[in-house]
Amino acid sequence: RAQAAPIRWRMQTYAGAALGEHVCKPAIELFNKIAAGQMEIELYYADQLVPTSELFRAMQSGTIDAVQSDDDSMQSPTEVTVFGGYFPFASRYSLDVPVLFNQYGLKQIWEEEYAKAGVRHISAGAWDPCHFATKDPINSLKDLEGKRVFTFPTAGRFLAQFGVVPVQLPWEDIQVALQTGELDGIAWSGITEDYTVGWADVTKYFLTNNISGAWIGHFFANQDRWNEVPEHLQALMEVCFEQSHYYRQWWYWGGEADLRVNGPKLELTSIPDEEWATVEAAARTFWDEIAAESETKAKVVEIFKKYNDVMAKSGRPYRYG
Amino acid sequence: MPRFLVMFVRITEAVNYRVGRIAMYLIFVLAAVLMWSVISKAFFRPALWTQEMAQFTMVGYFVLGGAYSLILGANVRMDLLYGRWSPKTQAAVDIVTIFALIFFLATILWGGIESTAYAFEVGERSRTVWRPYMAPIKIVICTGVFLMLLQSVCFLIRDIATLRGERI
Amino acid sequence: MPYEYIAIVMFMGMMAMLLSGQRVFAGIGFVAVVAAIALWGDRGGYDIAFTSAIKLMNWYPMLTLPMFVWMGYVMSETRLADDLYRMFHVWFGPIPGGLAIGTILLMVLVSAMNGLSVAGLAIGATIALPELLKRGYDKRMVTGIIQGGSSLGILVPPSIVLVLYAMIARQPVGQLWLAGVFPGLLMAGFFLLYVVIRCGLNPKMGPPLSREELATITWSERIRLLRAGVLPVVIFASMMGPFVLGYVSLVESSVIGATIATFVAIAKRRLTKQVWETCVVNTLGVSCMFMWILLAALAFGAVFDGLGAVRAIESFFLEDLGLGPWTILILMQVSFLVMGMFLDDTAMLVIVAPLYIPLVAKLDLGMPPGDVLIWYGVLYTITCQVAYITPPFGYNLFLMRAMAPDQVSLGDIYRSIVPITGIMLLTLAVIILFPEIALWLPHQVYGQ
Ligand code: NA
Ligand code: NA
Repeated sequence: RAQAAPIRWRMQTYAGAALGEHVCKPAIELFNKIAAGQMEIELYYADQLVPTSELFRAMQSGTIDAVQSDDDSMQSPTEVTVFGGYFPFASRYSLDVPVLFNQYGLKQIWEEEYAKAGVRHISAGAWDPCHFATKDPINSLKDLEGKRVFTFPTAGRFLAQFGVVPVQLPWEDIQVALQTGELDGIAWSGITEDYTVGWADVTKYFLTNNISGAWIGHFFANQDRWNEVPEHLQALMEVCFEQSHYYRQWWYWGGEADLRVNGPKLELTSIPDEEWATVEAAARTFWDEIAAESETKAKVVEIFKKYNDVMAKSGRPYRYG
Repeated sequence: MPRFLVMFVRITEAVNYRVGRIAMYLIFVLAAVLMWSVISKAFFRPALWTQEMAQFTMVGYFVLGGAYSLILGANVRMDLLYGRWSPKTQAAVDIVTIFALIFFLATILWGGIESTAYAFEVGERSRTVWRPYMAPIKIVICTGVFLMLLQSVCFLIRDIATLRGERI
Repeated sequence: MPYEYIAIVMFMGMMAMLLSGQRVFAGIGFVAVVAAIALWGDRGGYDIAFTSAIKLMNWYPMLTLPMFVWMGYVMSETRLADDLYRMFHVWFGPIPGGLAIGTILLMVLVSAMNGLSVAGLAIGATIALPELLKRGYDKRMVTGIIQGGSSLGILVPPSIVLVLYAMIARQPVGQLWLAGVFPGLLMAGFFLLYVVIRCGLNPKMGPPLSREELATITWSERIRLLRAGVLPVVIFASMMGPFVLGYVSLVESSVIGATIATFVAIAKRRLTKQVWETCVVNTLGVSCMFMWILLAALAFGAVFDGLGAVRAIESFFLEDLGLGPWTILILMQVSFLVMGMFLDDTAMLVIVAPLYIPLVAKLDLGMPPGDVLIWYGVLYTITCQVAYITPPFGYNLFLMRAMAPDQVSLGDIYRSIVPITGIMLLTLAVIILFPEIALWLPHQVYGQ
């Protein structure tokens, strides 16, 4: 029985190997196993084939067939880029992300935006919340002043008003930069990643307040390549990527709680709720600034507002107080 | 050799020499930027732009200086066999293998032009807080690679002249 | 064609291109883009080639390269090491083999002041070698120790090779640099022992300074010359101190070192117009050479990675051969050494290291995972040192051929490296057996 040569895809994730082990690899292995030789996805980690800043273009041109990333990290030239990764206070729980995409219409907006660039938006999923991990304890907003912190561009832009000095360094240099005193902390992930990638070894304190409850990331594919794949394999890919979103739901959710309570390396600190409410209020102003930039952005912000309004009114367990 | 080829070699090499002599001093710009980074961190608020500016300067240094470094013969060759050949044999082999250099540079240039066009199209900016536009540095890369490409063609012409027993 | 075969064809193609004598970066880059086009179409070729330039730009620590190259040229061209050589000359001259011992110590100090081996070789070949030959030292012995000693430049911090390794293995440069200190000193110690033993067995190989000559050196001059030893201490401390303590970044420390070296040269009125010209032009030339090889090798590496060559090698060693971790480690070093003889050294770093580092990380050597890649960084650097001096292709060999006085023939140079290679391999074996020699210092400074 002659079997056709398998379809081979190259996928590159924004994540380095240590993190990719959890956020991407299991789903790809699962897909390859079920596809049983009809198709094989080869997984590459951050910067392996092309640098992350050129990731989108490489997918657009077909050098890479598929990508796992947030919009912000790969600098997608779309109207929705600023919402990828962490958009301040847009979500509280990781379940918010699939709800926003599937029930509140973000999925359509993302699909349309990427279709314009010849890219297929396969699906969106949630990662971890965005917390500070620092070398000195943070107990009030004042403690944040003058701290050199590694964070996302959008988050950095937002946090600058509280005296934070956002610093950009290559991701791999963060651990060393913390060790050698170039950085005072990071606002990049939840506690699970802090432990997984080794940052917990070089920081001492973990701030329980977060500026976003869930990171938004996606699976994308080059549209032409996607069209070449038979329908049943397209469906399989969708299912496996959904499975990856599900894996991350419990991996992060369980990990965040467990490491806060049982993790040996980081001491927890908190900023009082009343004080943190001023940061949340500042985020609303920030939203309006972003909404004023374009029609699409206004539409997305509108959806965030509507959703958070429903959550606030619905009471426990959606929102407390 | 035809006069226009000789002129081409003369003009190209003169341009590359001058561009390279200027690019050569970018190392001091690089050092100054990094020194400012040390000073601003020690005495003021850490500067947000120094690291990227330094990276851009370094790229300018070795890309714009690339053609001049080719003229200087700074790019190492494995001379196990090559070193034992006569100048004529060397020229004959180079006439064939120079296409590797030309092809490699042309590929970079092609990708560079596409990437630059893309940078203009979407107004591409770096994702740091400083957010510089990316088009200028991509133009620098394209320019430097283009000059190196011209220089490679000069080598080809010179090698053909050597085989014909002429000197340019 | 299965990917493994493409990978082999690529490798053979690269070797053929190198043997043709075309510029090394052209050969590597050409094979890379042709393979990328064959695999992924013309777009693939353009993307891989151009994005390699962007990748190189993002390799932030590579900013140290032009700084270290500049520093090396300033040091050798302005003869900043003259006084240093003179210091060792008068203090060690009176004992048998003393000038050779002094030369090794000089090489160690020069290594602590720059990140490559070129400066050490230039200083050794132009200052020490003529003196040693004049005094009747055995030419093969001293040619060898200068080549070996200068290669300490990449093992004793600061080191460009360890910066490159750190980028590929994603390990902290500070720890790697500190890990190189004791292995570097150990290797220097073996060189010393070698000189002492040979001159002890045969005093004609390293005659002491004559009484008449010694009588001409006053004690006040001897004391005065000790001040020369201050320079390397100042340069080393001002570069390494702020970096290890966290006041400045790696790149910033390199610019501090380069600046200090430049000011010292100006203060000593040695930076003449002609020296300046040589330094500026050669720094550009050497930096361009390195950068373009790195750029081409990054493209080559990306295609190799795309072929799954890393995974193929991993499964070959771990599953197909079913070898134990130590056997694999030794096989890797042996193959690395063999490739190091033939391949361009810089290209080898960028092409071979990404294949081997993930494999090392997977080996269970009974060491904490955080330590394995730091320790391997030292093994890797020593292997590079060997590659630098082994024929037919080695930078130090090239340079020695160009710089050595006429009475040292090519045959002398080739024969001189035999015992030196032996000593390097001995050091390699000792570090493999006793990883603590490398790991102790980083543990002390940065904690476990
Ligand atoms: Na060194
Ligand atoms: Na070699």
